[in-house]
Amino acid sequence: MTETPTDEYEHYEAVVVGAGPGGAAAAAALANHGVETLVLERGVDAGSKNVSGGLIYAEESAPYTIDDLFPDFREEATERPADEYYIHNVAGRNVKTFDLNDIHHHDTEWCDSVLRRKMDSWLAEQVHGMTRETGGGLLTNVRVNGLLREGGEIVGVTCDELDPITADVIVAADGVNSELARDAGLMDWEEPEEWFQGVKAVVDMDPDAINERFGIDDDEGVAHLFAGDLFDGVRGGGLLYTNEDSLSIGTVFHLDSIAEEKAEPHELLDSLLTHPLLDQWLQGEYEEREYAAKLVPDSKKAAHPSPHRGRLLLVGDAAGQMQAQGPIIKGMNHAVTAGGLAAEAYQEAKARGNPTNAGDLYEQKLETEGVMKKLRPARYRYSRPVSESGLVTGLTNGLLNSPVGTAGLKLFGGLVERAFNSPFMLGMIPDTRFSYVTMPTRIGEVLGTPVTAENDIEPPELDERIGDLTYDVDDPHIEVLDNSFEASGTAVTACPVSAKDFGGGCYREETVQTNGGEQKVVSLDTQPCVECGTCAVVADTHWEHPPGGKGVEYKQG
Amino acid sequence: MPDIDPTEHDIAELGPKIKDVDDEQELEEMLAMEKGGEGRAPVITLIEDRLEKVGGEDEEVDPSEADLTEMTIADIANMIRDVDDIEVLRDILEREKAGKDRKGAKSQIEKKINNLEEDDGEETEVEYVPPEEKYPDLDHPTNDKQYVEGTVDGEYRDMWVYCETQRGELIDVSREMLGKARELMDTYNDDYDESEDVIAVLIGDGVGDLTEECLAYGADRVVYHEDSRLERFRHKPYTEIFCHMCRDWEVEWRDYHEPRYTVFPATNNGRDLSALVQGELDSGLASDCSGLYIEDADISNPAKTGTPGETKTFGKILHMKRPDFSGFEYSTILCIDKPHRDFHPQGASVIPGSFEIPEAEPEREGEVVEHDTDLPEEWFQVEVTEYDALDEGVDLTGHEVIVALGRGIGDDPTQGIELGLDLVDQFEDADLGLSRGVITASYQFDGHVEQYITEERQIGESGQVVEPDVYIAAGISGAVQHKVGMDESDTIIAVNENPDADIRDFSDYYIEGDLFQVLPRLTDALEEGEFARALQQEVSDD
Ligand SMILES: Cc1cc2nc3c(=O)[nH]c(=O)nc-3n(C[C@H](O)[C@H](O)[C@H](O)COP(=O)(O)OP(=O)(O)OC[C@H]3O[C@@H](n4cnc5c(N)ncnc54)[C@H](O)[C@@H]3O)c2cc1C
Ligand SMILES: Cc1cc2nc3c(=O)[nH]c(=O)nc-3n(C[C@H](O)[C@H](O)[C@H](O)COP(=O)(O)OP(=O)(O)OC[C@H]3O[C@@H](n4cnc5c(N)ncnc54)[C@H](O)[C@@H]3O)c2cc1C
Ligand code: SF4
Repeated sequence: MTETPTDEYEHYEAVVVGAGPGGAAAAAALANHGVETLVLERGVDAGSKNVSGGLIYAEESAPYTIDDLFPDFREEATERPADEYYIHNVAGRNVKTFDLNDIHHHDTEWCDSVLRRKMDSWLAEQVHGMTRETGGGLLTNVRVNGLLREGGEIVGVTCDELDPITADVIVAADGVNSELARDAGLMDWEEPEEWFQGVKAVVDMDPDAINERFGIDDDEGVAHLFAGDLFDGVRGGGLLYTNEDSLSIGTVFHLDSIAEEKAEPHELLDSLLTHPLLDQWLQGEYEEREYAAKLVPDSKKAAHPSPHRGRLLLVGDAAGQMQAQGPIIKGMNHAVTAGGLAAEAYQEAKARGNPTNAGDLYEQKLETEGVMKKLRPARYRYSRPVSESGLVTGLTNGLLNSPVGTAGLKLFGGLVERAFNSPFMLGMIPDTRFSYVTMPTRIGEVLGTPVTAENDIEPPELDERIGDLTYDVDDPHIEVLDNSFEASGTAVTACPVSAKDFGGGCYREETVQTNGGEQKVVSLDTQPCVECGTCAVVADTHWEHPPGGKGVEYKQG
Repeated sequence: MPDIDPTEHDIAELGPKIKDVDDEQELEEMLAMEKGGEGRAPVITLIEDRLEKVGGEDEEVDPSEADLTEMTIADIANMIRDVDDIEVLRDILEREKAGKDRKGAKSQIEKKINNLEEDDGEETEVEYVPPEEKYPDLDHPTNDKQYVEGTVDGEYRDMWVYCETQRGELIDVSREMLGKARELMDTYNDDYDESEDVIAVLIGDGVGDLTEECLAYGADRVVYHEDSRLERFRHKPYTEIFCHMCRDWEVEWRDYHEPRYTVFPATNNGRDLSALVQGELDSGLASDCSGLYIEDADISNPAKTGTPGETKTFGKILHMKRPDFSGFEYSTILCIDKPHRDFHPQGASVIPGSFEIPEAEPEREGEVVEHDTDLPEEWFQVEVTEYDALDEGVDLTGHEVIVALGRGIGDDPTQGIELGLDLVDQFEDADLGLSRGVITASYQFDGHVEQYITEERQIGESGQVVEPDVYIAAGISGAVQHKVGMDESDTIIAVNENPDADIRDFSDYYIEGDLFQVLPRLTDALEEGEFARALQQEVSDD
């Protein structure tokens, strides 16, 4: 095989792949250091591919916050502050609400709700301006499809749309399902346990209605979380955040639980949307602006302890740096911190005359700045083998259902609320059905009061949700390697835009006649795909992102 | 030192100025100055042209004594430009008749005589230099042509439409053009109180079979030329035949010089032919048009009016709209006569699909004329030795009936397709369409129907958009992405076992039932010619 000499390619000092919060932070910090930086983003616009529930935190303990790097951020790119924070423990109609303000405000300088299209595209504009001055810039509609290597060493990136580009440092901030992390052999997409799946609806609502229904002013906002038995035993919870003139209502579940329960993600979302508790806010009106979904790494299991290889540094979701602190989801802030640290590490390594040392320095910084401690708490590592074994949860389960347990709950209701508000306790919560379902349900049952309201809104059907999305369809970007139902059938239910007995989704279950016998198989049409990444993990596929500018385009995010 | 230093002027300024310079020496100096300066190619050409003109004047022959037999038609045309004496011209005409008696030469001289008689000495204000005079050393403005035929005030009538055929059938755009031509000429005849015709031109092997169809789509007269050697489109014979038909052919009904209008399809072959024909007929061409209308135009361009500052109304102008910049802009092209030269026919090529296919009127009457002349062998020097049939894909548009199948065939996909094809066969002009759901399924099809399962048959947002008279959707749920590809169909008949399927909302007839039973019943009913009744029995309501 002959290799094109890499010195014939265009060269930048730094290439940043992805213009989410991680990439934007890395690029801004690099540009601040005067490093010539090129940013490549596959969306038609930054943010057009991105989804989050929507609360971005600025932590007091963090070395970099988004407004450190982009001083006008809150003014220009966010929706409302999240001043109040509640969790609702649901058992049927019974609901017990805890105030989680303590944990929410713990170590929090500020926290705002965001919509990603608006946020990321604003960031991208700033980044473009900053990186232009270093001789680089930001390009959208470009998908990086792999690493460029020379003699086995990573020296740059290859793209669908451009000739290969070499760089002294490559920051992979390409989010969850990072093709670069996979190419480098740093991440795989095998274990459903390592991921959550998030699904979200952005719901149109007049600002005055929001103020009135939530009892807030224009410059105020609230966050509500939901747990308990409204999700058919699937481990996870719901969220509702106020935006300027919309609500973000979503659900986040453990992917292994979605897979096991053969749960339909859009139905889980609908269970939340139609719960009587939500009537106080929706009041019979429901207009969905956008339906969206994405995988979320669980840093406790997925955060890579050494997220670099040669010139390549992984940042944010690409490195699994997404912290689910109990019900609190912190991904964007850690991506920002990691982006800042990666830039800092490169700058220092370069100053010491050894830029190739950037990766090691970055790893050190993640430790010394306390980031890794938040992402992979030692407490969790110690407690997991015990508390996640069936025996222990079975025991605790039994306890909770016994009269003694119930009495205890009643007596110690206040204590439970306090325990929820302890970052130490939350870091220890095991990922079992017990913590997500049984305990909140019991709390709701025992401590809760029934909701009397009726919620008769009708969320759109899946085909309508798909029909409302904007697509620029291209050739299939996912290939099913084994289409037997055993290997890939889980995707029929787990894919957020597919469902059993629904012909209009990506994955469909079919029966084919094979010499004599019958076989259950799946077929795939990638046109409705929202690129969430689920089937990369739960099905036997060859999974890639579509080329630059192709595929789904989120307008809200 | 010349009066004008060309290096100090724009080309636009120089143009008019240089016309007053008659001194060869001075022009030579100007030329040297420009070459020594910026050396602008157009300026050099301008000066050289003038030089040639000035220099050439010396060698002029005396028209009353010139030996016409020694001269080409262009020479004669040149010579008589400056002759203003009608008597001298008549003498030249007589001598030409007695000599070589060339039609082209005579018409040049006659025209000049006519002009002088009409003008009666009136002077045009814009100096006109005919191309032959401007470039006397150039013996051919184009490779094939000895001279540009400077017809003035010729007789023009009718709209000629070139009807392209493929595999022995009219292609859709031919029908579209005939419909449009009919509409244009009906309005034209009303507006101008004329009675001019739509003339369809058919050239090819066995095209005589298509003449009735051309009449049915709107032609008043069909002119056709059949020859087995014309089976494939070939530049030379097609161009020659078309031009002979419309310019040189002596038939009693064609009592004019050339067509008033010509319309061609903007297909691969149509684009070639349109350019060649319009070139041969010494006119212009607006290519790739998407809109046509005829009305008067007020023009103040002195090149057209002959008098600066004057606005003149030109009648019966074909306005030819064409998209520019990928359709972001439109220009309207007009092809208008100049004072010393006619630009007729006013010709356009038309983008397929720009106009509706008209309702055929089989009872329409008209005249069919065979153009039966010998075709010289040398027109066929270029031989088509080999060709590839381009895989054109499946075109589902333009059928009367589309039978479309969806995932409802899932229980027995092969049989489902067979049943669909059986139904297709019952109609004269029908084809099979599919939902995307079928194409992307993992269904195993038997060999004989497998060829039908391609994206080329997909109807919808990312497939084809069809509007047949009848759209039969069997086992299709009616997703919005499918709907946008078919809901303009005149009559939609849905066969679905689920009465809540969305497709019911936009169907004219809804048949609740299993397509494996309903489709054969429809096929049988059609065989017996009782479709309407069968349909009435099947439908639930709607
Ligand atoms: C439903 C849901 C709720 C969430 N809620 C919260 C929350 O409330 N708070 C919070 O902090 N976090 C939340 N998260 C997580 C958060 O969204 C992520 O952790 C965060 O976006 C990670 O940022 P990032 O910069 O690493 O990656 P991303 O934001 O995913 O950005 C990656 C970028 O890279 C681009 N890209 C990807 N591949 C390529 C390629 N090959 N070539 C070029 N460009 C590429 C993408 O288009 C994208 O713009 C939530 C996630 C979900 C799904
Ligand atoms: C961006 C995008 C572009 C798309 N573009 C297109 C496109 O161009 N064209 C297109 O078609 N689709 C397109 N789709 C897909 C579209 O959304 C639907 O998925 C598809 O049209 C569904 O096909 P279907 O109706 O055959 O299948 P289904 O939706 O599964 O419907 C099958 C129907 O058959 C009925 N049925 C089942 N068995 C029987 C029986 N025995 N007898 C009678 N009825 C029966 C069922 O009741 C059901 O209504 C696109 C999707 C996206 C996201
Ligand atoms: S096809 Fe795969 S990546 Fe696309 S939406 Fe479905 S599960 Fe997600």
